[in-house]
Amino acid sequence: MKLKKVISICLAAVMTFSLAACGDGSAASGKNGSVPTYTQLDLSKYSDTKATIKFIHHKTDRAEDGTMDKMVAEFNKEFPGIKVEMEAITDYAEDSLLRLSTGDWGDVMFIPAVDKSDLSGFFMPFDSLENLSKELNFVDAWEFEGQCYGIPYMANAQGVLYNKKVFKDAGIDKLPTTPTEFLDDLKLIKEKTDAIPLYTNYAAGWTMGAWDAYIGIVTNGDNTYMNQKFVHTADPFKDPGDDTGIYNLYRILFDAVANDLIEDDYTTTDWEGCKGMLNRGEIGTMVLGSWAYAQMQEAGDTPENVGYMPFPMTVGGKQYVSAGGDYNYCINAKASDENKLASLIFVKWMVEKSDWCYNEGGYTVVKGGKNPDMYAAFNGCEVTSDQPSKAGEETYLNDMNSESELSFNAGGNSKVQRIVEAAATGSETLDDIYADWTAKWNAAQEDLEISVDY
Amino acid sequence: MTLNGIGKHKRTFGEWLRSRDGQKVLVITAFLIIPLMLLLVFTYIPFAETIKFSFYNMKYVGARKFVGLKNYAKVFSRDDCFGALKLSLYYMGGSVVQLTLALYLATILSFKVKGGNFFKGFMFFPFLINGIAIGFIFKFFYTRGFVFDTVLGWCGFNLEDLPYWLKDRSINNISLVGTSVWRYFGQNMVLFIGAIMSVSGELYEAAMLDGANRFQQFRYIILPSIKSIFVLNVILSISGSLSAFEPPYVITDGANGTGTYFVVMHEIAHTQQKVGLASAMAVVLLSIIFVVTILQKLFFKYVFKDTD
Repeated sequence: MKLKKVISICLAAVMTFSLAACGDGSAASGKNGSVPTYTQLDLSKYSDTKATIKFIHHKTDRAEDGTMDKMVAEFNKEFPGIKVEMEAITDYAEDSLLRLSTGDWGDVMFIPAVDKSDLSGFFMPFDSLENLSKELNFVDAWEFEGQCYGIPYMANAQGVLYNKKVFKDAGIDKLPTTPTEFLDDLKLIKEKTDAIPLYTNYAAGWTMGAWDAYIGIVTNGDNTYMNQKFVHTADPFKDPGDDTGIYNLYRILFDAVANDLIEDDYTTTDWEGCKGMLNRGEIGTMVLGSWAYAQMQEAGDTPENVGYMPFPMTVGGKQYVSAGGDYNYCINAKASDENKLASLIFVKWMVEKSDWCYNEGGYTVVKGGKNPDMYAAFNGCEVTSDQPSKAGEETYLNDMNSESELSFNAGGNSKVQRIVEAAATGSETLDDIYADWTAKWNAAQEDLEISVDY
Repeated sequence: MTLNGIGKHKRTFGEWLRSRDGQKVLVITAFLIIPLMLLLVFTYIPFAETIKFSFYNMKYVGARKFVGLKNYAKVFSRDDCFGALKLSLYYMGGSVVQLTLALYLATILSFKVKGGNFFKGFMFFPFLINGIAIGFIFKFFYTRGFVFDTVLGWCGFNLEDLPYWLKDRSINNISLVGTSVWRYFGQNMVLFIGAIMSVSGELYEAAMLDGANRFQQFRYIILPSIKSIFVLNVILSISGSLSAFEPPYVITDGANGTGTYFVVMHEIAHTQQKVGLASAMAVVLLSIIFVVTILQKLFFKYVFKDTD
């Protein structure tokens, strides 16, 4: 009987303590508890921190080639007590959202497509926008009510991949600066070389949605367009008449397909295969963000021929380049304080000391950091990033994307694939497609009661 | 202590549990509880949730808004939802080919054929491969100038005369249906062979003595004997063609006019994040499958009414 009593007292004690611990945890999570903010955190003072954190990410290729493990090993030299478990998810955009809704997904992840108003429920704020933007670029993408919940692991500039040798063989000595010049150059490539002038990567899907990234800064030079004005625009797809605008962005694709300037059978394109083809000069150009540059270089024996140029569109005599964060690190709001601290240390180290961004050919996230040489052609262009949406309108673009099902910059691949299909089969004209988009856009504006101001 | 007594001589609950009747109930419950729990947790509760979701305007995360039957109205008014069901006709056509082929080969292989087991294994094999893998195989199979074109080239076709198997809209759905026929006909065949094997050999002998030829044997002996397996296979193929997903999703991503109902539903649920609408689509498809299955049951009852 005595033994039983002892056990029950012990149990009671343990339960009381664990209850108390729970109480502490939940109280602290509201205001980050003892965890310092990103800018307060001094990495050199925390080298004896002990914790095990889990990091889920989408870089399956980097997990396979050992880059991730190498970076963590490097990290563990400075912070031997922090054990980082990693999981690479292939279908990240979808799976991460499902994981997120369960709450128990780990400590660090890349922010999937959530509404900004939900950010504080899921993630721990890193710091105020004011403090953070003094040290880092592109941190305003996941800002809500003055707090930043995400920091990009690298930044991309939006331009066009091309093969320098193909351009030279076709006799193109000056990079194109307007859609019309670009289409003329594609025709030259077709006439004078054996290369595919423009490879669409239609079958992969997301490579088509990549065309959306040029809307706004590139198409009209306005960095408030994408997140602020776009949803309030009555007819965003009308032809401005001067070779700019969304109209002429997709016109490049439509005309290239209609004039047979793309691959022979677009339905069986192969993403892995196209990297080597661009490298070897079997492909002239591909419209993709700068993140793809490093992969194209690695895919063959002639990395020196892979080039990157600003998007061929000139607004008011100037070429604009849109740069912005890629996926953003975030930290689970429901993690324990120890894990939050360890996660913050890990994220800060990854951002500032891992060189991951540079190695991937990314535009620097740390203010004043070094930029890879590939951005040489961007001299003279105005590099800017999309401004965040206005207060109170943070969810508008997501809502419009979902309601209209056009999903600009949010996986709306099928709408761009439709352009290719229409141009190839002649089933619709570009104006038919734009008319349909405008109708959907306006219906969504009406449904969501979003005012039409422009 | 007699409060829980059951029966005339007032057994306690404990006594009843130890009696033969009690043990019977206990054992039955114990054995059933696990499968029933699994069924409930992984089938019925999620399904009930799906029905609930179909009345809401919602995303996976974030606030939900009750909209009543609006989602259902949209399912019926949008052209892409019901238009996608037209593609099921291709798959139904495919399942007719598939069942005919399976039944024909099963009948042949159930008689003594040289290398019969080898052929059975050979034709059943595709069913064992994962559907996603099959998708990738066929993507390369149909690529211009790859496997299929090469094989046809050996047969004397010119590459210029061949269509683009996935690009040409008049043929790409047929190409996709081809992959699912290739995958499933072996399985149907094995099921048919199993049923045909159960027919007693004496019946054939008797029929042969009466002067019945092979076709008459098939029509009057085999077909009636494998009736239930045949009906099952037809029902499975038809509901399978209504919910075709893997070939279009993996091979073409539903692009270029190959988006079946399931692919459209997937796009709406995951890309557009209209979970409520997608749930309504799922419920509508379920009711369609119910109706089609009942109609088939009635049809076969009519067709086989004289064989019972």
